[in-house]
Amino acid sequence: MADKITVGYTHLSGCTGCTVALADNYGGLLTLLDKYVDLKYIPTLADARHIQKVDVSFVEGSVCINDKLAVEEIKETREKSAIVVALGGCACYGNITRFTRGGQQNQPQHESYLPIGDLIKVDVFIPGCAPTPELIRNVAVMAYLLLKGTKEQKDLATAFLTPLMKLTAKNEACGCDLIVDVINQGLCMGCGSCAASCPVRAITMEYGKPNVERDLCIKCGACSAQCPRGFFNTDVISQYEAINEAIMAALQ
Amino acid sequence: MSKVVEISPTTRHEGHSKLVLKVDDQGIIEKGNWCSITPVRGVEKLAVGKTPEQVPKIASRVCGICPIAHCLAATEAMEASIKCEIPNDAKLLRHILQLANRLHSHALHNILTLPDMYIPGTETKINPFTSEEPVRSVAKRIQRLREIGQTVGQIAGGEAIHPSNPRIGGMYRNCSEQAKTKMYDLAKEGLTLAHAQSEFMIAVLRNYQKRDWVDVGGMKVPLPKTLGYHDQGYLATHAFYGSSSLEENPSWDIRRFKEARPYDWYMGEMEVTLEEPKYPIGGTTKMGTKTNPQMEACTGIPMYDGQPIEVGPRARLAVYRGFDEKGTIGQQIARQMEYQDCLYEMIDCIDELNPNGKVVADYIPDGDGTLGWASNEAPRGTDVHLARVKDWKVQFFSMLVPTTWNFATCSKALEGAPWQLAEVIMRGYDPCVSCATHMIVVDEDKKIIAQKLIQ
Amino acid sequence: MGAELGNYKSCVSARSTDKELLKNAQDGGIVTQLFAFALEEGIIDGAIVAANKEFYAKYPSKCIQDSSNLDMIEPWRPIPAIVNTKAELLAAAGTKYNISPNVALLKEATRSFGLDKIGIVGTPCQMQAVRKAQLYPVGLRNVGASISLAVGIFCMENFPYQSILQLVEDHAAMKLESVKKMEIGKGKFWVYGKRGQVVQLPLKITHKYEQPGCHVCLDYVANLGDISTGSVGSPDGWSTVFVRSKIGDSVWGKAMAAGCFETQPIEKVKPGLELVTKLANEKITKNKKTLEGRATFGVGKALRNPYI
Ligand SMILES: Cc1cc2nc3c(=O)[nH]c(=O)nc-3n(C[C@H](O)[C@H](O)[C@H](O)COP(=O)(O)OP(=O)(O)OC[C@H]3O[C@@H](n4cnc5c(N)ncnc54)[C@H](O)[C@@H]3O)c2cc1C
Ligand code: SF4
Ligand code: SF4
Ligand code: SF4
Ligand code: SF4
Repeated sequence: MADKITVGYTHLSGCTGCTVALADNYGGLLTLLDKYVDLKYIPTLADARHIQKVDVSFVEGSVCINDKLAVEEIKETREKSAIVVALGGCACYGNITRFTRGGQQNQPQHESYLPIGDLIKVDVFIPGCAPTPELIRNVAVMAYLLLKGTKEQKDLATAFLTPLMKLTAKNEACGCDLIVDVINQGLCMGCGSCAASCPVRAITMEYGKPNVERDLCIKCGACSAQCPRGFFNTDVISQYEAINEAIMAALQ
Repeated sequence: MSKVVEISPTTRHEGHSKLVLKVDDQGIIEKGNWCSITPVRGVEKLAVGKTPEQVPKIASRVCGICPIAHCLAATEAMEASIKCEIPNDAKLLRHILQLANRLHSHALHNILTLPDMYIPGTETKINPFTSEEPVRSVAKRIQRLREIGQTVGQIAGGEAIHPSNPRIGGMYRNCSEQAKTKMYDLAKEGLTLAHAQSEFMIAVLRNYQKRDWVDVGGMKVPLPKTLGYHDQGYLATHAFYGSSSLEENPSWDIRRFKEARPYDWYMGEMEVTLEEPKYPIGGTTKMGTKTNPQMEACTGIPMYDGQPIEVGPRARLAVYRGFDEKGTIGQQIARQMEYQDCLYEMIDCIDELNPNGKVVADYIPDGDGTLGWASNEAPRGTDVHLARVKDWKVQFFSMLVPTTWNFATCSKALEGAPWQLAEVIMRGYDPCVSCATHMIVVDEDKKIIAQKLIQ
Repeated sequence: MGAELGNYKSCVSARSTDKELLKNAQDGGIVTQLFAFALEEGIIDGAIVAANKEFYAKYPSKCIQDSSNLDMIEPWRPIPAIVNTKAELLAAAGTKYNISPNVALLKEATRSFGLDKIGIVGTPCQMQAVRKAQLYPVGLRNVGASISLAVGIFCMENFPYQSILQLVEDHAAMKLESVKKMEIGKGKFWVYGKRGQVVQLPLKITHKYEQPGCHVCLDYVANLGDISTGSVGSPDGWSTVFVRSKIGDSVWGKAMAAGCFETQPIEKVKPGLELVTKLANEKITKNKKTLEGRATFGVGKALRNPYI
């Protein structure tokens, strides 16, 4: 196989839960680093202090637009990366920072937080809070195939990543999306994926349809992205067996 | 004449922070400021007006490394305010969850500090990600320990990172017999690994301690025997779990607590007058850069009995086990000592758990605005949350998180060390910086007033 | 082999050899028998099925329920549950023709239930949800690799609970409590009473009651199950079984070797695969039309298409 892809990790206003999720690939993380990924920059886990030029940048956290450094960092990340992946609800949608309204010690002016897609063009979304280690792994492997693979592997990677690329069209998420984009659109079939995927148990299934307790929702975007009627790329998902096997083999 | 050097951002810990150091001609730190530069997400402020059920879920997301502590301290502060006692099995589940988080977090911290250390008997610094032995086996063991912690936490708490099972009044679900057995087996496996891991870490730390000098970016830096010493005292509220104002004899006293704003405590504007491009990786801040901890710091300075104190593993062992080794190495050793302790306690809690017991209180009051607080011993120290809930709305919420306590103490501990080792001392505290951004002030009458800050 | 039947390694007509089991089962007892076998062999350590009120009353800790209390749960309303024994499996056998959000339990199964190897039964759309969960686990950490046996059941359409109530109580003039079994087959909706009465309703009555989400569904025979099964194609009391994945093949092989099922070649039974193919095609063609219609539903405005 060709050489590794270079990867950076920009940490903005996030909680590091996304980093932990990445690390929670356990042994798989070590294999990823051995074979596929050259981690150039990730201040939480390694020593590099400044953003570097890389193939793929993962960005955790939203951007505090009242903080000069944060705004510079997100712009620099865009300039220096071929592919920018918004990792986790905060980077994709704002997540809990959507609720922020400033007024707190010692920087009461830190009031306005934006998902990164409001400031730069983002290529791929990985929603959820925390996102799952497996989806991070899958995206990393697919990014590798996209950049270093054969024609066939590039096609597969593109097909796999397409829905996650299309998610970038919208920078806000809420449990209400299930109502607006699925039920209101006549698409809900009552599988319960949304309820299972909600990290704060905001969704219960009432008579076979989701009920969202909006007061609990943290706006992570997991439910509507997990919903089979949110997106379903039949061609790719039908090959679940082969793709899963290939990913597992890659991580052996 | 003393010079000013700045390391920004610091690495291998959670969040954004920097070190501003006044050093003498030998490069020894005369005064050090370690401050958070993570934007303030204002969780304490955004909590006001929300429901007590929602706030702990947001509070959990203040930090992804000790989310359990935040979730539980917030939940229990709400419960303390509304005066809700939870069933015993819910408590046990929370204990298991909390210990599981400690296990994973200590193991993660091993990865973060190992690069400062040497493979015993060699001049090779440890790169935890190398595929070469003996390091690879250690890395795999660390990852397995983390996996065990995260999996047990996931079973008891619903999710491995931000727990979903805790709720006001207890837990959403108890664990099945099957789940209980699984947790037990995992904890047992963890115990064996933890013995080996803590032994390994202690050997590495003792080896480091014996050295006369260490290498930092090609610079040979003398290693003082008193690395990271301070005389600030310790605070811990429980060997494992925590305390709350619902208890008859709580182990934390709000009247002994006071907080200063950074403006009163940190150094004012300075210019960087020393620059070291060799400092790993990317060098220190450029000469001539203006820096101003007073204005830039994002945290306050909490004090107990008028002094900053240390919280964390050593504080717990000092208060509850009589452990008294000072300095960065003592602190690190204490952390490794908590490995087995944590698993033994976890096994006891799993044993005691009754899968058929109820886990939600029969009656959950709406709250009358009473001030309630709860502490939780996060991996990196005491995490105290305070809340007032009235008519099922949060009126006041404050988080006094471990790293906030440690910022000021660590700043003291820097004094007397070569500046190149400042990050080594800082990492000893296993800082979680994102969470260390909060507001709380106790006025002269020891009453909490929030308004004082935003003048 | 046309695309409408999905990929499969083998297809037979089968039924369980356990006579007791067959009494509770909808058709050939394939689902219940497979799970019972897989539990016994340790292939799975629990299965997610659609239970009901009686089950919930008996085993409350094995269910997730919506916010209603026990008294509020009507007869024939499915309640997703995790079963660990044959007795529990039997108590949850039989088809409930209204929505059972089985996937909602998928994550909890690995958490407070402590499962490492999950069995799950579901309609084709639920199998899609399961596979999406494996390939795109956005909010389902540590779930994908735990799915050890996913059994799909054929499905033409499903109904909201109230639809079944109205169909049975209004159109078939029977109290829901007194219904023993419901079935869709031979172009009719059948309602069997506990006292022996049988009512059949033409499907043109049931159509209006279908859940709208079913009208964009492009899978009839659970293409993404490890094994999928339904009554169509096989004689009464028998089921048509597609063995699809490696896992499915292995489990089916073991279950056959253990004598769990008697089988007939699908080519030998009436009405056979021809009917399955025909119905699958009808469903897919009709729903593709619906999807096309959605593209021009408004004036210059489309309804959303989930298939990208
Ligand atoms: C809504 C619906 C529509 C169907 N349409 C067709 C059809 O058009 N053609 C056809 O051939 N077959 C159809 N079936 C399948 C058929 O009714 C039988 O379920 C199938 O043949 C399995 O029978 P069995 O004897 O093997 O299963 P059993 O051993 O009786 O087990 C059935 C299993 O399915 C579970 N289950 C019951 N109801 C539901 C539900 N609503 N959602 C998810 N799981 C459930 C039960 O808990 C049980 O575990 C449909 C089933 C459903 C639920
Ligand atoms: S998405 Fe969740 S886990 Fe990730 S940074 Fe935001 S709060 Fe933390
Ligand atoms: S309902 Fe749950 S899963 Fe959906 S966006 Fe809100 S928090 Fe996320
Ligand atoms: S995941 Fe989508 S289709 Fe499934 S129940 Fe939720 S909203 Fe409906
Ligand atoms: S018709 Fe399709 S969408 Fe409707 S229940 Fe059946 S499989 Fe699901």
